[in-house]
Amino acid sequence: MPGLTFDHVTKVFAGDTVAVDNFSLSVKDGEFMILVGPSGCGKTTALRMVAGLERITSGTISIGDRVINDVSPRDRDIAMVFQNYALYPHMTVYKNLAFGLKQRRVPKDEIAIRVKGVTSMLGLDDLLGRRPAQLSGGQRQRVAMGRALVRQPAAFLLDEPLSNLDAKLRVQVRGDLKRLHQRLDITTVYVTHDQVEAMTLGDRVAVMSGGVLQQLGPPQDVYDLPVNLFVAGFIGSPPMNLLRATSRDGVATAGDLSLLIPGLADGEVVVGLRPEHLRIAEGDQPAMEFHVEVVEPLGDGVIVHGSVAGQLVTAPSGTQAVLSPLPGERAELTAKFEPTVRPTPGERLRLGVDPAKAHVFDARTGDAIARTG
Amino acid sequence: MAASRVQRAIASDHTVGWAFAFPAVALIMIFGIVPIIWSAVISFQRTNLLSPPVWVGFANYKALPDDPLFKQSMVHALIFATLFVPLSVAGGLFTAIALNRPIRGVRLYRTAVFVPVVVSTIATAVIFLWVFDPHFGLANWLLAKVGLGPFGFFESPNGALYSVVVMTVWGWIGFDVIIFLAALQGIPPELVEAAQIDGARTWGIFRGVTLPLLGPVTMFLVVWSSINALQLFDEVYLATNGGPGTATYVPVFYLFRLAFLQGVAGYAAAIAYVLFIAILALTVVQLIVGKRMVYYSS
Amino acid sequence: MSATPVLDAEPFRDADLKKGSRFWLSPWHLVLLPIALVMVLPLLWMVVTSLQTLNETRHYPPTLLPNSLEWNNYRAVLQEAPFARWFLNTLIVTVVVVIGNLLFCSLAGYAFARIKFFGREVAFVLILATLMVPFQVIIIPEFLIVRRLGMIDSLGALILPNLAGAFGIFLLRQFFRTLPIELEEAARIDGCSRLGVLFKIVLPLSGPALATLAVITFMWTWNDFLWPLITIYNPDHMTLQLGLATFQGAHSSTTNLLMAANVLSLLPILVLFFVAQRYFIRGIATSGLKG
Repeated sequence: MPGLTFDHVTKVFAGDTVAVDNFSLSVKDGEFMILVGPSGCGKTTALRMVAGLERITSGTISIGDRVINDVSPRDRDIAMVFQNYALYPHMTVYKNLAFGLKQRRVPKDEIAIRVKGVTSMLGLDDLLGRRPAQLSGGQRQRVAMGRALVRQPAAFLLDEPLSNLDAKLRVQVRGDLKRLHQRLDITTVYVTHDQVEAMTLGDRVAVMSGGVLQQLGPPQDVYDLPVNLFVAGFIGSPPMNLLRATSRDGVATAGDLSLLIPGLADGEVVVGLRPEHLRIAEGDQPAMEFHVEVVEPLGDGVIVHGSVAGQLVTAPSGTQAVLSPLPGERAELTAKFEPTVRPTPGERLRLGVDPAKAHVFDARTGDAIARTG
Repeated sequence: MAASRVQRAIASDHTVGWAFAFPAVALIMIFGIVPIIWSAVISFQRTNLLSPPVWVGFANYKALPDDPLFKQSMVHALIFATLFVPLSVAGGLFTAIALNRPIRGVRLYRTAVFVPVVVSTIATAVIFLWVFDPHFGLANWLLAKVGLGPFGFFESPNGALYSVVVMTVWGWIGFDVIIFLAALQGIPPELVEAAQIDGARTWGIFRGVTLPLLGPVTMFLVVWSSINALQLFDEVYLATNGGPGTATYVPVFYLFRLAFLQGVAGYAAAIAYVLFIAILALTVVQLIVGKRMVYYSS
Repeated sequence: MSATPVLDAEPFRDADLKKGSRFWLSPWHLVLLPIALVMVLPLLWMVVTSLQTLNETRHYPPTLLPNSLEWNNYRAVLQEAPFARWFLNTLIVTVVVVIGNLLFCSLAGYAFARIKFFGREVAFVLILATLMVPFQVIIIPEFLIVRRLGMIDSLGALILPNLAGAFGIFLLRQFFRTLPIELEEAARIDGCSRLGVLFKIVLPLSGPALATLAVITFMWTWNDFLWPLITIYNPDHMTLQLGLATFQGAHSSTTNLLMAANVLSLLPILVLFFVAQRYFIRGIATSGLKG
């Protein structure tokens, strides 16, 4: 039985803005599903529709096998963690956690037990008597989660819960969240614009843009096999390099790079190369000449910015499906090497490309072109 | 070198600071601080504001407990405040909640509620003298339609004070509404959403989230309204002139008459100070009780 | 919860109004309509009465719609009492007091907010103290001071004591402190004098606070009654409120003229209210939220 289902859900705001367009998604029971995309892609709206905070224009949302379109938020058996936590400022941590249970007339002793269970799980035992204003950002975030968990909901909704934390805390809480989910196994829908969070946390990832679901799948699949230019450019950091190319007789040519791709139709295409898949050329790999400009050592690797012959293309964002080539004679390219490689600015290198790791997209539609290689 | 020292002094923060602050500070000293002190001095004197004053020590203050008119006016002020404050604050909150709904025409309703605040106390009194006219007024006519009245309103010894309450609530409730409305709209919507998801119904949200967050504003309005209620003057002067008889005598009205119509200014100053202390005491009590209530309500 | 958002944002969020106002039929109308009527009815009846003949006013049950429109009432009022003069007096006093407050309270408020000078804390506490003391405590000595200055029965008596108020200093000081000090420091490094910083940098950014102060001061000064009552005797020097009160004393039985006089006295501030409603409301809201 699915945990949560979106069935052709559409949301149109007053003024004819389509925030979510014919969105269909099935979250398995106990699955950690991530909705990821840039601002305005509709992910938060989709989440709020599950919560009942936005009305559904058309389509249905179900929890379990119960359609909840017209059910009020309090009766949907869901719990939500807001981006700004939305803790009741005038209540202590204990009262914040107990509020929902009190509203549902849970007996006092049971409330105490459940709250205690959650606080020990989240490490909040010492903070029960404090008010939100007296807590740090990380502590507030945990209280917000505790408030949601204490209700033992059927579905757990999180709206960018890590975005207000500093970088170090974010990494730590990410791990905590994952551990929590493994332990509790609640159906979870998590919204974020950060693709690193999406990749590390999700069982499956739903990439959204312009209100439309672009791709759904486990994080590794979305990384390895992006279905269109948007997903290719969005997932992966540093982002994938996209070069304009012409394909003729099974060979795609971008600048001085020639890739043999059997079965490729003639026409305008885009070649996608992930920075981490570029190496110093060996043997007679397909290669291109790379002028090094900026070197950024990371410690565990080195990012090198430079240029190659050819034309760069921007990944579409939002509702754009058609790509626009950037002006200039050379294309800016980013590569990521092992830390042992130490290029210097001004140096010229030959970069090798593994054809199996190169992506090819139709220049007109942006869709990935299936290859046999 | 002396010239640059002078230049430095002129440019120094102390000089500039005082140059900026001087006009306002001087005005407030002359027309604020000095009168506060001088008023205390006058309260120890007997004076009609024309001939030289005579020092009488605490005599004015000692005379207060035996002055039936003073006691009456204090009682009236307290009755008035006890009615005015809850009616305007609670009524203001209720109206603000109603006005916070996204319904058609709410802007018109809001304007209707706000306009009386802009109407001056004098104009309000003139209007209500007419509305409350026992023979030809709108009030008795409307009340007759529901089987009540006729009432004497300002001309009734028992009803005059309550009529003043009605008139002043009409004139001032909009003030409370504006402030409550702003406070309501300052409540972050996520808090209400979180409460909805937590399972609270409308009343639960109101009691658990909205009302506690309105605590500070409510306290402010209670204190503010109380202070103003105890200082009632304009409406009484115009609508009832303290009457009928002395049924609507209030402290400020009494001391005004004493000082500027009867030439008993020293005594009037004593009354003013006693009233001031009473207001101060009441405010302190309200703040203490209020702080405790606002804390416990969560 | 911070109070500053109310000062910067629109007084009331009307975005909700656009989202599906299904609400001709909302039950809240049943609540709001009577309340609105109670608020507005006395005013409407005042206008109606002002256009009636004397006989009509002496009619019971009261006539709600006048049979004829006696515009003559207004002419009679203007002839019987120097309304235009009263209006002018009030206007002069109010405008000068508002300008004075804006000017002196800006200067002082800025000094208290940003300049460290000897005795600053003491002066500020004293100023706050005057906010605590009710008006009736100071009217007697203030009267004596004004009399000694020879200003009794002149507009000066109404203007001078009110040219700078503690409220304005407090309001502006609080507001100035919320502005980023880096702007002023940058200007001073660029060579601006303190005065220049105030007028060229700080005040242009203080629109909402200044508007609030102006509106509140305007309303308070325009409607003030007790002080003019004590200091002004000559009918030619009276303000609108005082004049109206004396008019009422003389014409308590000619209700139609009295109502016409009332309407005249209300017109200016009602017009101002409708034009600048947003600032009135914002002004009152901020003073409440900051209090």
